Amino acid sequence: MSVAGLALHPFSTPKTLDEALALLAERSARAEKTVLLAGGTDWFVERHVAPAEEAGVLPLVVDVSRLDALRGIAVEGETLHIGAAATYLEIRKDARVAARCPLLAATARDVGALQIQARGTLGGNLASGSPAADGVAALAALDATLLLRSIRGARRVPLAGFYTGYRRSVLAADELIEAIEIALPPEGSPFAWRKVGTRQAQAISKVAFAGLAVVASGRLARLGLGMASVAPTVALLPATRALGLSKPLGEVTDADVEQAVLADVSPIDDVRSTAAYRRHVAVRLAQRFFGELRAL
Amino acid sequence: MSMETNITLTVNGSVVTLEAPPAARLLDVLRERLGLTGTKEGCGEGECGACTVLLDGVPVNACLVAFGQCDGREVTTVEGLGSTAHLTPLQEAMVTEGGAQCGICTPGMLLSAEALLREEPRPTEPQIREAIAGNICRCTGYQRIVNAVNEAARRREARS
Repeated sequence: MSVAGLALHPFSTPKTLDEALALLAERSARAEKTVLLAGGTDWFVERHVAPAEEAGVLPLVVDVSRLDALRGIAVEGETLHIGAAATYLEIRKDARVAARCPLLAATARDVGALQIQARGTLGGNLASGSPAADGVAALAALDATLLLRSIRGARRVPLAGFYTGYRRSVLAADELIEAIEIALPPEGSPFAWRKVGTRQAQAISKVAFAGLAVVASGRLARLGLGMASVAPTVALLPATRALGLSKPLGEVTDADVEQAVLADVSPIDDVRSTAAYRRHVAVRLAQRFFGELRAL
Repeated sequence: MSMETNITLTVNGSVVTLEAPPAARLLDVLRERLGLTGTKEGCGEGECGACTVLLDGVPVNACLVAFGQCDGREVTTVEGLGSTAHLTPLQEAMVTEGGAQCGICTPGMLLSAEALLREEPRPTEPQIREAIAGNICRCTGYQRIVNAVNEAARRREARS
């Protein structure tokens, strides 16, 4: 690629969130395509891999990476609020995230390598909709809520209701993801983060697993699970969650977990792995987490 | 909203104003408009780290940054470290420890290591390995690069 390769894309850098929302509204009313650019870790790769797709009218690229309204990390009461354009590096370095949401801190440390963490964002990960998104697997286990905004107003959508299919979501053409909200688990809540791939850094996961639990008197009071690369969207493993919440932990057997996980996942063969290997790993990762919870 | 935009940024300590397409990759603008060909293109997909530069002091892949995102920011390329006549301790150590073989990964490797040493003057081996995990080297097996970063830390401390 050269300077000429991406020269034709029109580009806009709104100074405020309101300006960005107005631009989105105008363009969606005219049915014109817009790309919101944050870290660019997906968009530039897609341009590199499939430049032929650029035929026709090019979308307007809108840089949202430096909008202050999308960048903050804050704890308000028992809710962790992360701006959609906060980077993984900012998340992993944040002392409040490390103390109150160590699952997310662990995931942020495992996304790509430092160069990717310095650019990649949760908002971008969510909006791209890749089923292999590590960050989204963690948000699934944390039962995150997404704050979506347009000039029509704001709405909150639980992650469980965000995706409608492979790389499809309920995000409207005039909307953007403003922030991610996480109801903080009690300090010290057990969690699991496991990324299985060819190499620890940079490799896209063959399977990634995130789990979070609140245990009280041998039972699960809260159970969140998320798994990447095992279904058309990041999987929330509803059958496995229901199993975990249905009876005392001591009565949940490995065979139960296997049956539930296999009902929850539908992996495919692709360049990174096979469906059979992914099913095997998915079951083992969930069994290991339940084993850790039983041993508490 | 435009095809070419004037953007002012600091490159290797000098303020420059450049007219270039804002959606162009920072990598291409550095190489083709500024002639800074020390920054290499490997994969073009943010995986190999050959195009690593520092953006406001933080390592990024220049193949994944839009030029239009660099307004008012500070970019450091390998040309901004030392010169042939005046190598930095890190560059010296890469030479003496045999941390560079074919050389394609070296500029990016140097910038990742430089960012680490600025933040952590006495890094542990795991910290070094994590800092360069986004820079792929197919020649050295990494050990000599890790040795070089260790040695650079020692030399920097000795000079300060």
